[in-house]
Amino acid sequence: MAEPDFDAQLSRLFAEPPSFPDAALFNAEVAARLDRGWTMRRLFIGAAGVAAGLFAAVQILTSRFSSEVAELSKNSSHDFETEVSAAVAKVNAVLTAPASAEAVWLAAGLAVVALAFAVTRAVEEF
Amino acid sequence: MGTQSPPTGHDVELAALSAAGDRRAYGELVRRHGSAVRGLLRRLGADSATADDLAQDAFMTGFEQAAEFRGEGTFAAWIKTIAARLYLKKVKREARLIFSDTVEPVEAVMVGEASRDAASRIDLDEALKTLSRGERLCVSLCYGADWSHAEAAEALNIPIGTVKSHVKRGLDKLRARLARPEEGARREAHG
Repeated sequence: MAEPDFDAQLSRLFAEPPSFPDAALFNAEVAARLDRGWTMRRLFIGAAGVAAGLFAAVQILTSRFSSEVAELSKNSSHDFETEVSAAVAKVNAVLTAPASAEAVWLAAGLAVVALAFAVTRAVEEF
Repeated sequence: MGTQSPPTGHDVELAALSAAGDRRAYGELVRRHGSAVRGLLRRLGADSATADDLAQDAFMTGFEQAAEFRGEGTFAAWIKTIAARLYLKKVKREARLIFSDTVEPVEAVMVGEASRDAASRIDLDEALKTLSRGERLCVSLCYGADWSHAEAAEALNIPIGTVKSHVKRGLDKLRARLARPEEGARREAHG
């Protein structure tokens, strides 16, 4: 009978946590580490999202530019100068018209923000 | 987000909130179980500073892995297991985990010291210091972290028979060490 009694006594003793005078300080330190970790994580996720968004925007813009160049070279047999001037006129029309230029940059900006948001959400979900 | 009252509820609910990123809920779990984890690490043999560092690491790991706690056991046992594994990892890394069948000489010193407060309350932490490192680890893992002999053997990478013999020898020493103050207290209670 002594063995189960001692087992129970020992289990009870182990189950009683010792009291620490600096328990509040310990809790505060863990909370601070949690907050720090959380902030770092959010910063990292945000930075990763912005980087991904910028990369995607650059890809979109460069692919559109290269397709324009490809189109120009394909039709160069006709009248190169006419095409160039037409393309320049088209680009000028887009960039000089205030509303159109703004729309292009606004769209690019929105694409960056949307991609950053999407990547942020995806990483957080993961 | 508006209220600032401390979170309440069962550990399982708080762990579920923590898994969703609620740091205040997890803070409550830290408040409830912080001392138990710190105490366990000391009982396993860690010094105060190491025990507190590892306890913090254990709680950080617990927050990251809160989704893995499904309430099958108690949260206390779960977080203690994380802490014990971190401690064993550290001890193994530092190659300080030596199991020897010889009794360490600390026993004589501690028993002599213990006799001074024989009439005071049972002090498990002092009693544990009379055990060899292997005995102390095995007893603390099996009784403090609620591990089975098999779990302790696997974590310590030693045969289960060795764990059992360490536990048995450790219990014998603890029984001898703890019996005296209890008898004293009983005598006092009976006048």
